[in-house]
Amino acid sequence: MKKNSEFENILDECLERLAKGEGVEQCLQSYPEQAAQLEPLLRTAQVVRKASAILPRSEFKARARYEFRSAIQTATKRRLPLFGLRPRRVMAVMIVSILLLAGGGTAAAASNSMPDSPLYPVKLATEQVQLTLTPSDMGKARLCAMLADRRVAEIIYMASKGNAQQVDVVAQRLDKRLALLARLVSVEKLEVPAVESVPGAPTEELAPPAPSEKARGRGGAVVEGNDRAKLRMTVAHYAANHPAALRAGLRGAPESAKPALRRAIDVSETGYERALAALD
Amino acid sequence: MQDEESLVRRAKQRDQAAFAQLYEEYFDKIYRYVALRIGDRMEAEDITQQVFLNAIQAISSFKWRGIPFSAWLFRIAHNRVVDYLRRKAKAATAPLDESLVASDDDPQLIAGQRLDIERLLSAARKLTPAQQEVISLRFAGELSIAQVAKIMGKSEGAVKALQHSAIVALRKALSVV
Repeated sequence: MKKNSEFENILDECLERLAKGEGVEQCLQSYPEQAAQLEPLLRTAQVVRKASAILPRSEFKARARYEFRSAIQTATKRRLPLFGLRPRRVMAVMIVSILLLAGGGTAAAASNSMPDSPLYPVKLATEQVQLTLTPSDMGKARLCAMLADRRVAEIIYMASKGNAQQVDVVAQRLDKRLALLARLVSVEKLEVPAVESVPGAPTEELAPPAPSEKARGRGGAVVEGNDRAKLRMTVAHYAANHPAALRAGLRGAPESAKPALRRAIDVSETGYERALAALD
Repeated sequence: MQDEESLVRRAKQRDQAAFAQLYEEYFDKIYRYVALRIGDRMEAEDITQQVFLNAIQAISSFKWRGIPFSAWLFRIAHNRVVDYLRRKAKAATAPLDESLVASDDDPQLIAGQRLDIERLLSAARKLTPAQQEVISLRFAGELSIAQVAKIMGKSEGAVKALQHSAIVALRKALSVV
């Protein structure tokens, strides 16, 4: 036992040294008696470290940075609770207000931008902020449906421009939104066990999920039922119209974009099927 | 980087520059950690963003009580990852995202790195969740044993033992040496 723990200490020390730029051989020289056991582990660690050097995409980094800075600005502009609302709600109110008041500003201009526009990352960032700060799962699911609608319009636009690569990228985003929608409304989700508590971490985000609507009593159940029914109607409407709109887009799209557009049609059909099944 | 404690103090007072510095310091590390844990680029991107938005919301509740800021931030990321994995376990399993490599690199480099990442992700699946967590925090998050111990709520000795057993298992799975 003691021997094991000694070896674990040596291994850890060598890992720290490798992280600081030393070579495997230097570590082995420091521990000749353990060298035979250490060497394969240190070589493995080197492989793991190299493969772990995953870098975020530069496009994502730019978008994330914009979103983060927007959120900081929003948070720092008002330090006191707004009308007694909880901080998360305050931030949501502020962001929505900014979007509403922006008028000719960047956020408003971005809201209509297409994937080939320089403002498109702003649009995605704004959406992500909205999604993150929407408090209820049902609200998030509604937003996902709205965002799916936007993605379909973008796919048709990019297909008409013959940009097959962007059609695929946006179709992936569409798939992601529909998958999230399905997850948010799935009955199973209500049974997800509580996430471990985090000392000093945001309790609202990380606390166990609120009791299910079933457990909240009759009033809550009725409201939830109505919301769910409304959302189902919206999703059913989109499920009928989005694949059809994409198919119609095939007529005007250049040949080069058609295979990507067909893939997008598959994505929308499968995605909506999954979302409707989750809502049933 | 400026003294982290003073940066965090300033961030708590809503100093935007301090927030931004902390963000730049930890963004790549948090992304790497999340990406390695879940193996899906788009989800990793979403979760990484959520971690930092959560941090803005919760920074005022952060206190220096022997818990470094990095441990606090990674703990948020850890909870997000756990939450995601639990949800995913209940849903149909999605195929592994093969595009974790940044797309603006040299194509040859991308191919090599993608292979390395795929091998690692596949090998990491053979580890226990605790071993995966240690490897992700140590190698992708670049955290010390002490920090990992705080995040995982284990003793440093227990984390070292997990690290040892994880590397042994990875060696076997990766067939290194």
